[in-house]
Formats: sequence, structure tokens, C-alpha cells
Amino acid sequence: MALFKFILRRLFLAVVMFLVITAALYGIMMLAPAEARAMMYMPSGGRGNDVNLIKTIIREHGLDDPYPVQYVRWLLSLVQGDWGWSPTLSEEVLAALVKRTPVTIELTLYSVLLFIPIGLISGVVAGWKRGRPIDHGLRLVAFIGTSIPPFIMGLILLAIFYVGLHWFMPGRISISNELDIRSDAFRTITGLLTVDGLLNSRPDITVDALRHLALPVFSLSLAHWATLMRVTRTAIIEELDKEYVTAAWGRGLPYALAVWRHALRNAMVPALNSSALSAAALVTGVFVVEIVFSLPGVSKPLTQPALAGAFFFAPDVAAMMGFAVYGMFMVLPLMVILDFLQAVIDPRIREGVLS
Amino acid sequence: MRRLRQFLSRKLNWVALALVGIFLGLALAAPILSPPVDSENPADFQIHEGWVELVPQPPSEEAPLGTVIYHRSSIGGVYLLHFDVFHSFVWGTRSVLRFGLITALSAAILGTVIGAISGYIGGPFNAIVMRLTDAFLAFPVIAGVWLFRIIMEMANVTLYDYSNLDVMPVPQTAFQRVVLALDIDPVMLTLIVFSWVAYARLMSVSIVKLKQMEFAEAAKSLGMRSSRMITRHLIPNAIGPIIVLVSRDLGGMVILQAAFAFIGVSGTVDSTAIPEWSRMLILGRDWIIGPGGDPFTFWWTYLPVTVALILFGIGWNLLGDGLNVFLSPWEATRRGRSR
Repeated sequence: MALFKFILRRLFLAVVMFLVITAALYGIMMLAPAEARAMMYMPSGGRGNDVNLIKTIIREHGLDDPYPVQYVRWLLSLVQGDWGWSPTLSEEVLAALVKRTPVTIELTLYSVLLFIPIGLISGVVAGWKRGRPIDHGLRLVAFIGTSIPPFIMGLILLAIFYVGLHWFMPGRISISNELDIRSDAFRTITGLLTVDGLLNSRPDITVDALRHLALPVFSLSLAHWATLMRVTRTAIIEELDKEYVTAAWGRGLPYALAVWRHALRNAMVPALNSSALSAAALVTGVFVVEIVFSLPGVSKPLTQPALAGAFFFAPDVAAMMGFAVYGMFMVLPLMVILDFLQAVIDPRIREGVLS
Repeated sequence: MRRLRQFLSRKLNWVALALVGIFLGLALAAPILSPPVDSENPADFQIHEGWVELVPQPPSEEAPLGTVIYHRSSIGGVYLLHFDVFHSFVWGTRSVLRFGLITALSAAILGTVIGAISGYIGGPFNAIVMRLTDAFLAFPVIAGVWLFRIIMEMANVTLYDYSNLDVMPVPQTAFQRVVLALDIDPVMLTLIVFSWVAYARLMSVSIVKLKQMEFAEAAKSLGMRSSRMITRHLIPNAIGPIIVLVSRDLGGMVILQAAFAFIGVSGTVDSTAIPEWSRMLILGRDWIIGPGGDPFTFWWTYLPVTVALILFGIGWNLLGDGLNVFLSPWEATRRGRSR
């Protein structure tokens, strides 16, 4: 029951956070004059230098209204699924983002599922065996992982494994399989190629998709794994110094059991908390890695060169706002899930004793 | 003094000081190491006029670290430009240091002030401010970069009315005038706006703890004004972790800036918003794989800048770690005990 209440409170907080951030975003947008913002409603074929058209747009969309009115209006259209039209993508923003979602989900999901367990386990091992060779080894790898930025790591990996060894390639899927996927025989069920391949009894497509995902997932996970490992290591060292571990050991419990069953449980809370706080950094990392490995995910419009028309230049406001909102839709659930895990592990958190 | 000796006794701290020192030295000595063509108005890049080779040129007398080429398309065709790698490397040190210092210090000052005031007032006000910082933590920075880039672009919008060949006056807001006047870099603005929260949280937590201590109570009972109390007693006692974070952020922000420039979020290669090192990374990317898959054929196009970027991050990070032990006595004694 307490857990249920805890979840409700977290979800409510997530909604509040969403409103605060979008209000801030829209507020920043409002710093630009209405004439410039009118570009975002420019009909296709409309000329940006058409003064009367711009005046009409300002009047029709109420771009001169006070900030709260405009913000609420924008929020309502967001809820109704009207995220605007992007001139650089020549697509509806929401449709464009939804279409590219599976690629991003696959990358994020596999990275999170990889680095969180491995980070926790290696952190425990390093803390448990502190000062031993395995601790030094893990810390050295973690140091390298945090020192080399993911985009440079991506380049290094591509140079070695794609150009040198031909093991893994950039992109999402090989061209030969791309045709199979586009064909009618291949049913799109989840949109995740690794899963759909199995569901369509085409394991070769799953393998191919995994080969394309290996490098991006690795370079994304490495830095986050390193941070998680360090936090877990510190936490486990602190836990192992506590008396309950000594007591458990003294009662005849194998030390390994005391570490894995009791100390890990307590050390997981600060570790997951650090991951929850860096969820936004993870999502930024997802977009960077997507671009480096040319995965056709939702970060596509980020690097799409803005259409520089002959007469005017339209900043793609709709795509930007859509992308920002989408980014938060990735971060907030991640945070809620990680908070939920903490509450499951530690009753003090769900009872609200510790905030 | 004892702690300074302790700081200097760790070998890693020497590595940190050496790395940071090298970059500072390069930045200071830039005009001597690579004299600019126009010494009155030095540019971060140098183009070798009249070089027409179609591949990057290896290190030579004129170009100590070789050149990297850029096909620049403009009205009248495509021009081939040879950028001097050494010049960009040396002068890029200045630009990354400037970027890192301004960004990290601005974020730190903003966060410290907000965190200190909020922590000092405490109670529900502090709780609300901390919730606000939570919201900032939930926003991916990369979307912020795009947002501010679009704001800059919109600040530059001028509408031409071709019917009477007149410029339609687009009123500029005060914000836009400030932005245009200061020539603010969108990436820098974003990183400041989204990283002060870490400082504010750190500061607020420390201040809440410190203001209940006896020395603070004593100062308050003697009738010390709040503003003096915060600036003279509370902030100096809580500044340690802030300095550590500034040092770590300095490297981290430069790397983020390079990442954003590299993937093309902050603009095209032509843009002045692109830092020199990132321009080299972008131009060098196409030459990593030489003929026959040999990655070292054109090593000078990408290796120096990549290594410099990694070392820059490591240097400031290590310095932060070292300062952490140096500035927090508790940490120092704990380490002393366990070793």
C-alpha cells in the first residue's frame, strides 16, 4: 500500500516536473518576437517575406497574447497530438518522432539493461576485494571509460571493428535485410527489429540487428557503467564496515552471502539513485551515440540542415519543441522506474522516512 | 601547510597539475608557438593560401603538424582550404580554456548564490527550489542546445518585403539585443542554464547543515546581518565541494561542447560557434581511415586533437579528485586511516 502511494507521489512529481520544464521552455521561446515565431506556423509554400501572411498568422494563432494563454494553448495542442509541422523534415513532428522511436528505444533499453546489472555486480566485486588486483583492474577500466568521451569512443570502435575487422557496422540493419523488412512478408509487431526478427522466425535479422547495435550500446554503456561501478564500490565499502555484516559473518554466515544478500541490497539504493539523477545525461548520450553510429533514431532532425530557402531561413521551432518534450518523455519514466526500484529495495524510502 | 604537503605527496596530483599546466602553458604561449598572420587580430585558424593538394599534407616546415583540408562551397564554386593543424591545436587551447572557465564559473556562481540563499531561508522555500532543480535535472541538455540555437537564429531573422524592397522591421526584444551584443554561444548558454543546479543543490545542503552549527548561532545572536552571515561565514565554509565540482566540470563541459559540435548540433563547420578543436575533429573524421584501411596514413588530421581532448578531460578530473581530498579534512583523515 505504501508502495502504491509512493508511486502515485512520484508520478505526480514527474508531471509537475514536466510542467515546470515545458513552461520554462515556452517562456524562453517567448523571448523571440512574434514575427519570428510566426515562422513555425508558415504553411508549406508560404513565402517567409510575405508581411501580410505573417500578420495573419500572428492574429490567427494569437502570438501576441500574454504568455500564460499561449503556453496553455500550446500544452493543449500537445495533449491533442498536434505537435506542429517541421519544415526541415517535411513531416508532422509527432509522426516523425513516433516513426523513429523503435530505434531509440532499442538502443536505450539494451544499454540500460546492460550497464545497470554489470555496474552493480562489478561495483560489489571491486568493493569487496578492495585493494586486490581485480579492484585495481576494474577501477582502471572505469577510469578509461569516464575519460574517453562516448563520441570519441564511438570513432575508435568504428575504426577498429568496422574498418579493421568488419565485425560490426554502423547503421541499423544491413541493406540486404533492409529489403526483407520492407517487404510485406515481414510483419512489424513491436517495431524493435531484434524482437520482430524472432517473432517472424527470422533469427538472422535479429542477429544482424544485434551486430549493428553492439558498438553503440557498448560505447553508451561504458561511461554510465563506470560511474555506477564507482558509486556502488564506495557504497559497498561503507556497508561492509558496518556491524551487521560483521555480526552476520560472526553468526557463521558465509562472507560472500553477507556481501551479496545483505550489503548489496543496501548499497543498491545510492547506486540506483545516482543512475536516476544521471538519466538526463544518459538520454543526451543516446542521441549523441545515435548520430555517431548513424542510427536512424529520433535525433535525426537535430542534425538535419535547416532549409535555407532563397528568401528566408526558418528555424525549425516545432521540431525542436517536439524533440525537447520527447526527450523528457524518455527521462521522466526512467527516473520513475529507478525510484520505484529503490522503493522496492528499501522500505524506509517507500514509507517516506528517507526522502 | 600539512594538507598542501599531503596534496603534493600524491603522484596522481602531479599528473593532474602537469596536464593542466601544459594546457595553460600552450594557451599562454600560443602567439610564440604559432605566430598569427595578423597579430593585431589573431584568428584561431590559419589557412595555407595557394595549397592545392587534394589530400591533407603531412607535417613539414611550414605546417608543423600538417594540414587538414576543407571543401568550402560558396557562391562561385567549391574552394579547397588547407587548415594548419598545429595552429588550430595551439590556439584551440585558448578557446577551450576560455569556454570551460566562463561556463563552469558562471554556473558555479549562479548555483552558489541561489543555493546559499535558498538554503539559508530554508523550510518550504528551500523545498520548492530543490524541486525546481529536480526539474532541471530531468531535461536532456542536447535539446537545450537546439533550443538556444533556434533562439539565436530567430534573433537574426529579418524579413524582407520584396514588393517595395524594404526591410520589414522585426522588433527586437531586450533579450535578443543582449544576445547579439555579447555574441553569446548557444552551447555555452545551455551548459550554464542546465548545470547550475548541481552547485545549488550542493550549496543548499551544506548551508542547511552549517547554519545550525554553534558558530553560526553565535554570530546570529550577536546581531550579524543575514547577507554578511552568508557571504562571510556560510559560503566560505561550504565552498570546498564547489571548487572540486568546478574543476571536474571544466573538463566535462569542454568535452560536451566538442561532442555537440562534432555531431553537428551547434552548427556547421563554417560557423564561428564551432570551437577550433571540434572543427579539426569534424574535418579529420573523414581521414581516420587511410588507403587500405590504415588508420595512421593521415594520423595528424585527428590524433593530436583527439588525444588533447581526452587529456584535457583527464587533467581537470584528476585535479578535481586531488582537490577533493585537499579541501575536505574529513575525507583526508578517513583516507589516512584506511591506508
